[in-house]
Amino acid sequence: MADTPPKNHLAARDVVIAAYGETRIERRSGKTPYEFAALAFEEILTKTGLAPADIDGFATNVPHSESTNQYYTSYLCDYLGVTPRWMQISDHGGGAALAGVSRAAMAIQAGMCEVAMVLCADTPSSSWRAANGGFRVAFWDPTGIQGPPGGFGLLMNRYMAQYDFKPEALGKLAVAQRDGAVLNDNAYEKLRVPITVEDYLNSRVISSPVRLLDCVMYADGAAGVLLTSAERARKMSAENLVFPTAYSEIVNFNGREAQPDITETGFSVVGPEVLAKAGMTPSDIRMFQPYDDFLIAELLQLEQIGWCGRGEGSDFLLETDVSYRGILPINTGGGQISAGQIGLASGMTNLVEAVRQMTGQAGARQVSDPRNALVTGIGIIPYGRNWLVSNALTLEQ
Amino acid sequence: MTEPTKSKPQPDVSETTRPFWDGIKSNEFRVQFDPSTGAPQFYPRSTSLVTGRTDLEWRAVSGKGTVYTYTSTLVPIPGFEDDVPYILAIIDLEEGVRILANMVNVTEDEIEIGMPVRVAFEQRAEDVAYFCFEPDS
Repeated sequence: MADTPPKNHLAARDVVIAAYGETRIERRSGKTPYEFAALAFEEILTKTGLAPADIDGFATNVPHSESTNQYYTSYLCDYLGVTPRWMQISDHGGGAALAGVSRAAMAIQAGMCEVAMVLCADTPSSSWRAANGGFRVAFWDPTGIQGPPGGFGLLMNRYMAQYDFKPEALGKLAVAQRDGAVLNDNAYEKLRVPITVEDYLNSRVISSPVRLLDCVMYADGAAGVLLTSAERARKMSAENLVFPTAYSEIVNFNGREAQPDITETGFSVVGPEVLAKAGMTPSDIRMFQPYDDFLIAELLQLEQIGWCGRGEGSDFLLETDVSYRGILPINTGGGQISAGQIGLASGMTNLVEAVRQMTGQAGARQVSDPRNALVTGIGIIPYGRNWLVSNALTLEQ
Repeated sequence: MTEPTKSKPQPDVSETTRPFWDGIKSNEFRVQFDPSTGAPQFYPRSTSLVTGRTDLEWRAVSGKGTVYTYTSTLVPIPGFEDDVPYILAIIDLEEGVRILANMVNVTEDEIEIGMPVRVAFEQRAEDVAYFCFEPDS
């Protein structure tokens, strides 16, 4: 890889996020991804005055609940009455939302489309159809590993052996996110009750040391954003534009190393890189909306993107107000951990909250200075390492 | 204790992984090595991570290593209800690869990162052998 960072395809501020849509997050809704997608789609069309015929670019994620359908994206376009001239499905796991946004921006820049919908939906708590092959069949499933909590248990235990870890720091983060969910009408209703640090510490262990309140809960829902050229947005007289200004991704970080430090993640590459592309440092970031399948993943991101050094994440969290009122608001809508994880659409939950905050629409949890945000995505647990996809997007007003 | 709702998942065997499973059946742990660099790799696959060539060599290894990290599972997946709590570990093998496996003959109170371990073998079904690790004391 070259020593100079990859080109920043978003530097010219020629693409904008013109609107967002998000459904309420439900559990065991009995609905399909198509039905949830239609609700977020309707919200975006209503906000922008567009019709289905105006959408000429379309990107989505592979849902758990449609993962055996190899024609899902086209079926979804058919369902919604969209006739795209550019279409994309991303199987970046939880990184799919940001991957879709970055690619939709490229498609707009390349002239393949002008108005692109990145619409993510999944209903894993109603219909689970995932059947993962690869290494899992012979070398993962037969061990009885408890899925993601097992993988993160292994990772968290190693972190605790290498560094000074303070569980109350993750408890504080859990409480701050829960306070955001209480104020978020779209968060899963049963999670909209405040918790304490003691609740976190006393929650039952799933796969040690991972506790119940370290984890996300699968849920159903959809969320999306509309991207268009800055020029087209001006013609639409759209207000409250948000510019994606830098994006980086890495897949299979450390993938050729037989015995890497598993506490070191792809964010050690894409975190500093995306900030360099955007011309920012961590202290410039006004809010952080990190992918949060597990609390420990957020702590690792804080260290590796650069807010603090390796092993200093616990102290950083304990010393920093990360609530929506704070100096570094984190996952102000509750994140996935307190709003519910809408399967493989879930990266869009973090992104939509950033756009909502930056356009001043976050109501009682509105941050005071929403001029920019850093949003991240995480995808897919590999064999004996941390995760396969790390991606990051900066947004600016 | 709840009754297991289904049996434990069984490994599949492919042309590529057959030498590995043949080794397990004869109580031998085999790892692939890149012939040009001598670099080991695990899990078994058809291509060298160093060169991209499909010329990997199988070698029997010691089966000895240390615990890199572990987790104790309290909420089982289907088929493992009778094993709760069961411990999984990532093992650093002496020969330089990392392996995910169940730990046997050790409790969560006893296991620790860095503990010496050795491979052990278990019969999952009549014709299905699998591997696990135990303390090497």
